[in-house]
Parts: sequence; structure tokens; C-alpha cells
Amino acid sequence: MSGIGTALELRRVSKRYPGTLAVSEIDLEIRSGEVHAIVGENGAGKSTLMKIIAGCFDDYTGEVAVNGKPVTLRSPAAAKALGIEMIQQELSLAGPLSVAENVLAGRLPTRRGLLDKRATLEEARLCLSLVGLDDLDPSTPVEDIPQHQAQLVEIAKALGYVPCILVMDEPTSALSREEVARLFDIIRRLVQQGLAIVYISHHLSEVFEVADRITVLRDGKRVGTFEAREVTSREIVEAMIGGAASDLYAKRAAPPGDVRLDVRGLTRYGFFHDCSLTVRAGEIVGIGGLSGAGRSELARSLCGIDPADEGSVELDGRFVAPSSYSEAIRDGLAYLTEDRKAQGLALRLTVAENLLSALIPRLCPAGVYTGARDTAIVGRWVGSLHIQPPEPEREMATLSGGNQQKALLGKWLATDPQVLILDEPTRGVDIGAKAVIHRAIAEVADRGKCVILISSDLPELVGLSDRVIVMRRGRLIGELSGPECTEEAVLLAANGEGEAGLGAAGLSPRLDGPHPGPLRPGSGQALPEGEGEG
Amino acid sequence: MTTAPSSATRPMGRWLLSVGSVYVAVALLVVLGCIVRADFLSAENLLQTLKDVSILGIVAVGLCFITLGGHYVDLSIPAIMACSGIVAVYVLPSGFGAALAAGLAMGVALGLVNGLMVGYLRLNPILWTLAAMSLVDGITRWAYGGKWIYALHDTPSGAVFGSLYAGEMLGVVPTTVVIFAAVAVVGDALLRRTGFGRRLKLTGAAYEAARLSGVDPRRTIMWAFVFSGLASALGGVVKTSFNMYGDVDIGLTYDFQAVTAVVIGGVTLAGGRGSMPGVIGGVLVIGLLGRILPLIPGIGQDQQFIIRGVIFIAVVGISMYALRRSGRSDV
Repeated sequence: MSGIGTALELRRVSKRYPGTLAVSEIDLEIRSGEVHAIVGENGAGKSTLMKIIAGCFDDYTGEVAVNGKPVTLRSPAAAKALGIEMIQQELSLAGPLSVAENVLAGRLPTRRGLLDKRATLEEARLCLSLVGLDDLDPSTPVEDIPQHQAQLVEIAKALGYVPCILVMDEPTSALSREEVARLFDIIRRLVQQGLAIVYISHHLSEVFEVADRITVLRDGKRVGTFEAREVTSREIVEAMIGGAASDLYAKRAAPPGDVRLDVRGLTRYGFFHDCSLTVRAGEIVGIGGLSGAGRSELARSLCGIDPADEGSVELDGRFVAPSSYSEAIRDGLAYLTEDRKAQGLALRLTVAENLLSALIPRLCPAGVYTGARDTAIVGRWVGSLHIQPPEPEREMATLSGGNQQKALLGKWLATDPQVLILDEPTRGVDIGAKAVIHRAIAEVADRGKCVILISSDLPELVGLSDRVIVMRRGRLIGELSGPECTEEAVLLAANGEGEAGLGAAGLSPRLDGPHPGPLRPGSGQALPEGEGEG
Repeated sequence: MTTAPSSATRPMGRWLLSVGSVYVAVALLVVLGCIVRADFLSAENLLQTLKDVSILGIVAVGLCFITLGGHYVDLSIPAIMACSGIVAVYVLPSGFGAALAAGLAMGVALGLVNGLMVGYLRLNPILWTLAAMSLVDGITRWAYGGKWIYALHDTPSGAVFGSLYAGEMLGVVPTTVVIFAAVAVVGDALLRRTGFGRRLKLTGAAYEAARLSGVDPRRTIMWAFVFSGLASALGGVVKTSFNMYGDVDIGLTYDFQAVTAVVIGGVTLAGGRGSMPGVIGGVLVIGLLGRILPLIPGIGQDQQFIIRGVIFIAVVGISMYALRRSGRSDV
């Protein structure tokens, strides 16, 4: 019963987090029997919007109607009762339990108060057949089935509730090309049966493959909704970034000097392959790409946090050991993690203790900690990074996100690194902190150090970097510099629009050798196998 | 620029978490002591209070390294104490120095095993040390079963050994108290004045962040267990000096008492937050309770255990509450 009735309608829906309006007065109409893609840059409000639809917030404003009836979505249970199911990016399956128990979690059939095993298996088989998993034995533990099947099991679980609206957040992130194609077949079949699917993805090529309509969000607002057949990926990208790059970022005057950092053929099987790059003195080299392209993994292996399988890293003509991070720090490398709360800072310790935490070996000659230089070091970075409030003895957890991020930067600047590797240095921080951090990064480069900047914030990446290397599916696929280095070109290249990038955006191809080793799909968060694009 | 709810705006929560609050409890207990006993403030009584609690204090100082490092507790403390004490008394005929060294070496060895298991193999600290407790305790009983090795007062080494507990320095201060004070001072210096102390707090507060700061958290945790093993061994040797014979049960209840002292002293069970003065305060609270409670009619040994249990739960509950009030959480 395919139709074009409206399954879900949002009118002037907003959601405010402390300090920011994450979703601002969004109107959205999802029809039965369509795949409606939501795209936007990181921080555009996609996830928040989806969480509103899934009933995760009880404090959104605006009106929502499901199948024409006004409703409220103040709890996940309310959303489920209305036929809205969401498939999160992170799978929510319990590994040790069987596929059947997972699919029917919360509604296991019983007979006379006891679990009805036969009915469980039958019911589960029925759900699994909806996603083409007829051959999967429902009594298998979920931890024993491959990732792509788990993804489908998750979908089968959602379909078991017979939803009218299915929200899918990055459902292909763990799937290979063939598996994605199979998923899309299933999606098309479900849509023909009248289901409305809301599809969120970073991958524009996939969006165009599967979506009927595309809604673009930017800064929490809806920029527009397009018929997928009538729009090009270039137009979507322009809508996502809102035209030309902002001129917030003044280009630095100092020309980069000699090559200081030389990375050759760095490889970690299953994560990234044959990555070579150089950074000159005083240069900021950006690395652009989609999430999952392997940028953080490359950075972590480059400074020895994770092991590299092949390749070398040379700083000022001297090999630095990419095997031990503490040695790398001594050699002058510093990696500013993207996960400040779990990996960057000790929130339970004070600002001062955090600022000094990467300096412990240096401040303890012969193991004895004098603390003589503490105050001066802490004072210097609290002052120059305007950490608010300027109280070194305050516990880190009580600072705002922006100030925590400044402290994380200060922690690494205090080690006076020769190579500063920044992974999403301004994610989730306010505009004031962002400006301070950008200025500090530029200063580091101006003092002749090397800076590698990984950022999904395209204006930041393009505005701050002297050149941008684009990474896609574990490989450095090209480099953009000068006037060719635009947000649009980076985004197109990152999405694998190779030809478009090469022709129109001036993407210079890099030498890509043959596979240095086998890709290992299925090992950890392995990258999907190459698509074989130009 | 907005700030999260700050601890400054929640004075109650902040105060409850400070070292000061422990010493307020100490002061209140002293006042209570003066009520139940007229000569409570006499030097003799106060020194006896300290003496009663010295062995616990030595053990608690060691344990606090493990708790600060984010690994809760070493449940093998009683077994390490007994094993080390027995080894010391066994070696005593070869001289006091050798006995002390052998006892402490035993503690270091057992601590090292704990440290390798928990630090490097990442075994759950509670489960591993619980198993280690059973293992070491069983081996000690097996090897020592039926024997009674005495430290003889009339040998020179035995006399020195006995004075560990019974002796006095400067004519008045019990040697035990001096040992406790020395351990506390060394422990405090280790925490605040060495790279190890800094690494330990960082590891306890945020394991991954420590790793990404160039700290080797595995080695740091291993050392925390070694220091705890050493302190437990010292406590066991002193306790054996009190008994003057090897005994497999000398360590009973020290594990729980030490954790209670550490927690009362404001060391967060999740790790990273706490200080040595706080731990000493926690030890004093337990010592004062032990002096005062028996003076209250109707409170015997059994009731004291109950009271300690209630206090432990109350302190953990209050500190959780205080952390939440001040906008922090430890879970």
C-alpha cells in the first residue's frame, strides 16, 4: 500500500542545549513510502533532530504530527508506541544473547509464564526474513555473527515492532560495498511496502543512491529539501557549507620553510595504507575526510599510540620511533585527542594538574618532583589561553567544554612540541574558545613548528591549513592547496567524487601504490573494502 | 563564556569533600572522648590511641596508593601481613636486620605479583586480590601448619624485634607510632614529590588520558601494588613483634579497616582524588572510635564491627552525594 501520505510532520521544532540552539525551528515532512535523507556537516543538528523524533528529549518545542494526528514525543516509549523506530549508529545488541532473543527483546513470547522457545525462534525467523536473513540460525549468539549481519539483525529487531517510520543513523558505516547494496535493496523493498525511512549519512554517494528526497541542515536550521533526482551533489554540498568559505581565517604571512616531518608509507593493516606526507617548518597541513576514513588512526600511529605495521616517521632527518608514545613525546611529537573527556583530560584533577600532566617526566629529574616551575608554567597557559575561570586549583570537570578544550591544548603546548597533531581541536566548543584555539595554533606554526590538523569542521580545515590532504577509506587520495583548496573541493574529494574533484576542483592525484598488504575487513572497525573508484 | 555549575557555588558539596571535614570529625570525636572519659586529653591516652592505630595506619598508607590509582583495594592485605610476619620471625635467628629484610621482601614480592596481574594483565583488582588472598593464606597455613615459631626475648635480635612494638623512643613515644609517622611522611612525599605520585593520580583519575600523556599506566599500577605490599608487610612484621610469634591470622579485618580509613580520609574510590593527610585523618577517626566506643555502655566488639560498617556505607554515600551536588560524578 504505497502512498504519499505524510507519515511524520514537524513544524517549528527546536531544541536548546545549555548555551546553544542545536535545532532551530525546523519544518520537516516525511512521507510514507519514501527514503528521506538528512545531510549536514558535523554539528548541523542531524543527531539532535533524530533524537527528537525518537523521543529522547522531553524539552523540545514545536509541533509534531504522526500520520496527520498531533502528538508529543516526550519519551522513547511514546515514540515507539506511535510506530517510530530508530536504528542507532552504535548497535544496541547484547552479544552473548541469541539473535532471536535480541530481535524479540522486551516482547519474548511466553506460554504459561515460561519462555516459549519454539515461538521465539519462529517469530524471530519471520523478522529476519524481512531483511533477507532467511539463512541465519536465530539461535546463534549475536557475538558470533559478522558485523554486517548484526547491522541487519538490528534492523530486523526494529521491524519486529511494525513501525511506520524507521530512522537510520549511518547504517552503512560498518558495511562493505556489496553489503551496502544488499541493504539498499532491503530499504527499497520496505519503502515499497509503505514504510517511511529517515536516512542519515555522511556519504553523499550513498544518499543519492537510496534517497528520494534530501533535506540539508546547517547550523541547526533547515536549508532546504530537494528531490534527489533533480539536484547534484555539488548543489547539496554548497547548501551544506553555505556558499564560500568564511574569511574568518586570515592567511598567515610567513612562508613555510624546509621539510621537517617526513612520513613514508605508514600502514596499519585494516585501518590505513601507504600514507606518505611531509610537513615543512611553519606549515599547517590539514587532513580532510569523512569520519571513518582513518584520519585519527593515522595520527595515532604516527606518534606511536597505536602500532604501525609498515612505514617510517622522520623528524629533522632523524627517525622517531613510532612504537612508544612516551618516546615520541620526548622526540617532540604531541597528539591532541578528539575525545577530550575520556582520553584527553583527567576531569577529576585540577586545571593545574592537567596542564602539567604531559610534562611529568620532564619536571621530575631523577624521579623527584620539586614543583618549582609548576606555578610559572600553569600561569603562563591559563593566561595566554584565557582559561576561564583563571583558577588553577579548580577541578577540570567544573569548566565549560570550551575551556576544557583550551586546557587540553595548553597541556600539549606546555611540552613545546615540534610536531603538533590536532584531532578535532574545536569540536563542540563555543565561538570564543574557537578563536583562542585557532590563534594559538597559528602561533605554533609561526614559530617554525609543524602542525597537522584533522578536522571535520570544513571552514576551519580550509581556513587554517596551508594545504589540505584528503583521506578516503584509509588512503591519502589527493592534496589541495592555494585557490583550489575550498570546502567544496574537500567535501567532494572526501566523498569519492574523484573525477569531479580532479577536473573542477584541481585535486592533484597522489601516487597510490599497489596494496601493501591485505585489507582485513571484519577485524575491529576495519574499513570497508575499496570501492574501486578512479 | 559559560561555566558548568561550579563547586564554588555549592559550598556544602565542596566542604564535604575537603580534607578539612575529616579533621572536623577527628575534633568531634576528641570532644566526645572528653565527655566519656575525664583524662582523654592526657598524653598517655593520646599516645596509646595512636599506638593502637599505628599498624592500621601503616597498612592504610600503602593501600591508599592502590585506591588513588583507581584500583579500589588490595584484598590480599591480611595474607601479606601474615606471610611476611611469619617469614620475618622464621629468619629472626639470623639477626634482626635479616628478619626485617626478609619480611619486607616477602611483601614486595607478593605486591609485585599482584601488580603484574592487575597492572599488566588487567585482571580485575578485587577478584584477583581476593583470589591471591586465598592462595597466599592457604600456602602460608600449609607451610606453617602446626608450627609455632616464637621470637625469643632473650636473644639480642629477639629483643630488638620485640621493641618494634613494645619499645619507646625518647622515653615516651612508642616506636610503632614513630614507624607509622615515618611511613606517612614517606608516603606523602612519594605522592606529592615524585613523578610516580603524579603518574599515579593521573592514572587513577583517567586511565586513557594518562596513557595519552605518555605515562605507562600499567607500570604505575604495578608500583602501587608493590608499595602496598611493602606497607602491608611492614604492618605484619610490627604486628608479629606485638605477638612475638608467627601467626597466620594477624591480618584479619585489616583489609576492611584500611579501606574504611582511606575512604573516610576522602580518597575517591574511583581513583585520582585524595591526599595523604586525609588518609591519616581517616586512620585517626578509626583509632578514636576504637578508644571511645568501648567506653560507651552496651558497645562491645561485635557492635563496633557494625558501627564501622555503617560508617563506611555512610561515608561512601555522603561523598557520592557531595560529588553529585557539586556537579561531578564518579561513575
